[in-house]
Amino acid sequence: MVSEDNVIEDSVSVEDDFDGDDYEYDDGGDDYDDDYGDAGDDDDDYGLVEDDDVDDPGAMVSRRPKLGYTVLQEADIKQRQEDDISKVSTVLSLSQVEATILLRHYNWNVNEVHDEWFSDEERVRKSVGLFERQVVDVSDASEFTCGICFDLLPCDNFASASCGHPFCQECWQGYICTSINDGPGCLLLRCPEPSCKAAVGPDMIDKLAPCEEKEKYSQFLLRSYIEDNREAKWCPAPGCENAVNFAVGGGDFDVTCLCSYRFCRNCTVEAHRPVDCETVTKWMLKNSVDGENVNWILHHSKTCPKCKRPIEKNQGCMHMTCTPPCSYEFCWLCLRAWSSHGLATGGFYSCNVYEAEMQKGNVDAAMRREMAKNSFEKYTHYYERWASNQSSREKALEDLNRMESENMEKLCNVQCTTMSQLKCITEAWLQIVECRRVLKWTYAYGYYLPEHEKTKTQFFEYLQGIHFFFFLKAEAGLERLHRCAEKELDKYVTADGPSSDFDDFRTKLTGLTSVTKTYFENLVRALENGLEDVNSTACNKTVSPRSPASPRSPTGRNGKGRGSRGKESPRAGGASKNVDDTSK
Amino acid sequence: MKASRARLFKEYKEVQREKTADPDIQLVCDDSNIFKWTALIKVVSKQKNGGKKKIGPSETPYEGGVFQLAFAVPEQYPLQPPQVRFLTKIFHPNVHFKTGEICLDILKNAWSPAWTLQSVCRAIIALMAHPEPDSPLNCDSGNLLRSGDMRGFQSMARMYTRLAAMPKKG
Repeated sequence: MVSEDNVIEDSVSVEDDFDGDDYEYDDGGDDYDDDYGDAGDDDDDYGLVEDDDVDDPGAMVSRRPKLGYTVLQEADIKQRQEDDISKVSTVLSLSQVEATILLRHYNWNVNEVHDEWFSDEERVRKSVGLFERQVVDVSDASEFTCGICFDLLPCDNFASASCGHPFCQECWQGYICTSINDGPGCLLLRCPEPSCKAAVGPDMIDKLAPCEEKEKYSQFLLRSYIEDNREAKWCPAPGCENAVNFAVGGGDFDVTCLCSYRFCRNCTVEAHRPVDCETVTKWMLKNSVDGENVNWILHHSKTCPKCKRPIEKNQGCMHMTCTPPCSYEFCWLCLRAWSSHGLATGGFYSCNVYEAEMQKGNVDAAMRREMAKNSFEKYTHYYERWASNQSSREKALEDLNRMESENMEKLCNVQCTTMSQLKCITEAWLQIVECRRVLKWTYAYGYYLPEHEKTKTQFFEYLQGIHFFFFLKAEAGLERLHRCAEKELDKYVTADGPSSDFDDFRTKLTGLTSVTKTYFENLVRALENGLEDVNSTACNKTVSPRSPASPRSPTGRNGKGRGSRGKESPRAGGASKNVDDTSK
Repeated sequence: MKASRARLFKEYKEVQREKTADPDIQLVCDDSNIFKWTALIKVVSKQKNGGKKKIGPSETPYEGGVFQLAFAVPEQYPLQPPQVRFLTKIFHPNVHFKTGEICLDILKNAWSPAWTLQSVCRAIIALMAHPEPDSPLNCDSGNLLRSGDMRGFQSMARMYTRLAAMPKKG
């Protein structure tokens, strides 16, 4: 998606606000070495260390990843949509209306429109429903019979799409309104004449629909620009009307909206690294509904395999057609495309695919029942921890807001400093919020970690060991940061005048923030690369003995010199080295 | 409401006037309610129909039967499709065997207000002649057709036509 690069540059960018939060895998792997090796040096000497390590502008630049997405506000969306329409209309010498219909048909993909149009204009015109000349011509007659109400009417009352089939304006209005009130399928509206495929575009809506429906239609059209576009998604935060535009296939799934909501652009659940989308969906479904509902949903509804909307089937045959504009046709039993069903694949009603899976499923079912008994306790264990981190995160967000709205100004006055110097406090809080988010998802990860099997026991014990090791580091870091941002800061807010050690405090807070961030980045990487990690036996030897049992044991022997040694002499061996290697 | 009445009234007059145009379809409006209609569909053999290939192949298993349809017309008609079902039992892949519900795209998402009750009847006759075993409501019937057991399908369908759609003899 090279062509996207220029677009990203000129739009609203959130890069500056969230620079470090992205977990892009850059090549600066050595930066992380320090913090892995020193499992024990949890002493309070961050201030010194981090100045060298992180505040070095060169290091920052190299670490800052390129953002693979753009946040769009409603005006931006409109603008882009209009730009695309104008582009197509200019290149193909079509009216704006025709260009709109064409773009909608090809899911707002300008390149595809151009390609298709230039390869076979005739075919495109036919399938989209853009006729060059009218099929029916009633302009000469003084009267016409409306094809809907069957009234004989004077010609000034008639309207038609590009095909020319005449219907009276009242009937058009009814036809259009019914379709608009049925949902976004109205964007695909065609001429009422059954055999006619002529598209009914925004110009007809404009001319014939009442205000309320016009408004709805233009909303549908705007929404379609995001919803039908493979490269865009709405921000799922409640009340947020922004969207993100991204390059398909490019890099990171996590995006941050201007409303500061972080979410995964693939599944539009809140950001959930290191856990993958599938696990999150399973986990959320498990949490959001009690047993009864889960059963009901599992038994009565499925999601459309294409657009993922949930569907309840209450009548009719197995041949499902999703609501427009998705209109995907699939088999209810096996959820594969209906087109793949036929005599050759075993027929339409008794889907072979499904039956083969059922045979497998019967075996699974017995096992599942057995496991269900044990799983509830396990689930409760993980859920409680997941939920408590969730509420901690919300609490931290509240604290951050309160800090920004109340204490910041006070702190400025008391400590005689500028707002920009206090940026580190906001950053610290944002980091806390982010950490809680990661911690939360590690519990979902833990829940779905494969059960021990005989052959794999050793492997997973090791794996859990290494995770546990990162996990403890990360959690301890977070606790310290939280304490610092909450308790120690209070002292300075309530002080009578400027405190002499306020600068030291700032340095310490900045240091803690960045150290904690590194810990969490490492944790996320370790979890994401979990399976590849263990291939190296060297790593195995170094890490296993000290990981689960005594993460703090090799005391602060490396503590003092850490910062200065940093990049020049990355520690040999050790888990850190290995993790960095695999993450490249 | 007013528009739907006016339109139904026009269709009623058209039916009265054109009685002979479609001798196989008898559309009757309920005496007291213009939103309730019934139709009788006669499936006649090719020969009796004057050699016209109107109802599909002569080996249709519904031949000789008279099938009754019930129309419930919504107030939003013709913007919304009428609800149609078979009152006469029929063995057909796209008709529910118990309720008579019909699986036909023009009665669902492919409806257009330019269709009339008369043209719906014609579409149903076409459906009887050309079943769509790909989207079956009656799976037994669909399975027979899909597996290529034409004889099985024909004899089942013919039996139900005799039992339900023909006047009892003697």
